[in-house]
Amino acid sequence: MIHLSSFILCLTGFAALAVAMDRQQHDLFGRSLPAPATASLRAGGAAALLGALGLLVAWQGWGLGLVMFSGHTSLGAGIVHGAIIGGLRMRAKARGG
Amino acid sequence: MKTDQDARPAGRGLRQSMSDLHSWVGLLLGWVLYAMFLTGTVSYFKDELSQWMRPELPAQIQVPDPAVVAQRIADELGTVAPGSPQWSLRLPDARNNSVYAFWRTAGAAPGQRAFGEGNFDAATGRTVTSRGTLGGDFFYRFHFQFHYMPVVWGRWIAGIAAMFMLVAIVSGVITHKKIFTDFFTFRWGRGQRSWLDAHNALSVFGLPFHAMITYTGLVTLMALYMPWGERAAIRTAAERQQLTAELSAFIQPGKPSGETAPLASVEDMVRQAQERWGRDNVGRVTATHAGDAAARVAVARGDGGRVSMSPQYLEFEGSTGRLLAVHEGVGAAAETRGVLYALHLGRFSDSVTRWLYFLVSLAGTAMVGTGLVMWIVKRRQKLPDPERPHVGFRVVERLNIAGIAGLSVAMTAFLWANRLLPVTLADRANWEIHGFFIVWALTLLHAVLRPAKKAWVEQLWLAAALLALLPVLNAVTTPRPFWHSLGAGDRVFAGMDAMCWALAGLHAALAVRTQRHQPKPRPARKPVREPVNGAVLREG
Repeated sequence: MIHLSSFILCLTGFAALAVAMDRQQHDLFGRSLPAPATASLRAGGAAALLGALGLLVAWQGWGLGLVMFSGHTSLGAGIVHGAIIGGLRMRAKARGG
Repeated sequence: MKTDQDARPAGRGLRQSMSDLHSWVGLLLGWVLYAMFLTGTVSYFKDELSQWMRPELPAQIQVPDPAVVAQRIADELGTVAPGSPQWSLRLPDARNNSVYAFWRTAGAAPGQRAFGEGNFDAATGRTVTSRGTLGGDFFYRFHFQFHYMPVVWGRWIAGIAAMFMLVAIVSGVITHKKIFTDFFTFRWGRGQRSWLDAHNALSVFGLPFHAMITYTGLVTLMALYMPWGERAAIRTAAERQQLTAELSAFIQPGKPSGETAPLASVEDMVRQAQERWGRDNVGRVTATHAGDAAARVAVARGDGGRVSMSPQYLEFEGSTGRLLAVHEGVGAAAETRGVLYALHLGRFSDSVTRWLYFLVSLAGTAMVGTGLVMWIVKRRQKLPDPERPHVGFRVVERLNIAGIAGLSVAMTAFLWANRLLPVTLADRANWEIHGFFIVWALTLLHAVLRPAKKAWVEQLWLAAALLALLPVLNAVTTPRPFWHSLGAGDRVFAGMDAMCWALAGLHAALAVRTQRHQPKPRPARKPVREPVNGAVLREG
């Protein structure tokens, strides 16, 4: 359960951080988001990642907690990246691109 | 390599130098690194692979009580290896369905085999027989010492490759100027740029793992690579024994007393260890001179849940079962080594963490693979005549095919050999390995003889077909087909079949992508690239 919670936090954290980036905002929305929204996404994303770290360290201690956190962040970032690529490809195909 | 010559100032920027360094250290031993990465990655499931490769051993649905098993096997060893100066058994756990034990042979004459080993049934204590195979240990050993060469040579080659990898990681980080800006960037259908984006993503997402696994890999064999400190500091037999005690839970046999005394209850000793470390967290029982009044027994803690391979064990007087010592810590230097060693092996992992290790390590394999392919993609655009590439280009291109797609074919062929070779074949375990290398050599021959694109596609399809059909072969040659494993709750066999199909899907997708790929015409080059550190970054 802790694994699942931590993974979901990493996934949402990286999703927020990705959407907070200028290139992704243009790819996804066709424009830059307002600065306060970007700042909130960035802060929320970082907080979610820290939350995952806190959960894992509280559960397993620093040694094992950090190892697990590293794995969850790598996988979370990879899946967010894959989802962005997949989403943009589907949209391009729908437009006949 | 010749781009932008006119525009480049005399001085070379740091990033440009690092880019060149990254390209060449990545390439020179890239195929070795790819093979080390992939075989190392599957080794995170080596115990499960070994179970699958010994289908005669029944599935273990529940882990038996290790204390009871320890007593049972200790009794059996008293019969199988009477008077042995030392025996050691690894208790069953969630990932091992038999008890592996080895022993020193009592009074072995020079030239005679001084060690014996065997797998025992945890339920009956009897020796179990299965087909001759090295199981998952083949991939595990191959990933740091290769085969068909002295072990020390293999380990040196692995060490040099790992050092190249470490240089490639550091130089890659310096070269990649937009780690954060380009964190989620992937530009689809842009040829070389797309390969670079994929390579960057695979490298950056798993960067902590890739750096850790490379560095700790070197640490596991540091005594071989840098022996001088140890040689200078450890001079006497007593010092050597002290060093061994810091690194391992194997107690060394002293001299027997010559007075017969039966071994006290091993079950009680393991119970004491269980109270301290948990029911299923006792790893190994070692006894010296069992049956003698001078017998000693060490019960070692398992690897679960602690990021350290430093030995922790309880030491008992064999004849009375009295607890003599509790070894729960080592010195700071030994503990540092123990932690780094544990990080590399990941044996402390629960199943989720093991999967994380596997997936991120697979990304590391893909990182090396995309790097190798990118070397070709970059240079293809610059060939004066793409129909007649230079020899170096052709060598790299063909080695890439056999090194990447061919390795998938060969590794799967190893598993096919496990099911197809007659059980009675002499030297069977070695023939499985010969099969792996024969098939790998054939993929190289195929890569040389066929046009490059066709060779890629054919080998990827072959790997996909072999993987997809392996569960079918398993169903035909063993009484443990997928549906039976699923129904019986046999997660090892069912998981293996599912994994084969998933990997078959991955290879098929790669084959389709490669088949559909049409190289785009060479784009017009811009006269000057973005300046970096006073120079111009070349991408070649």
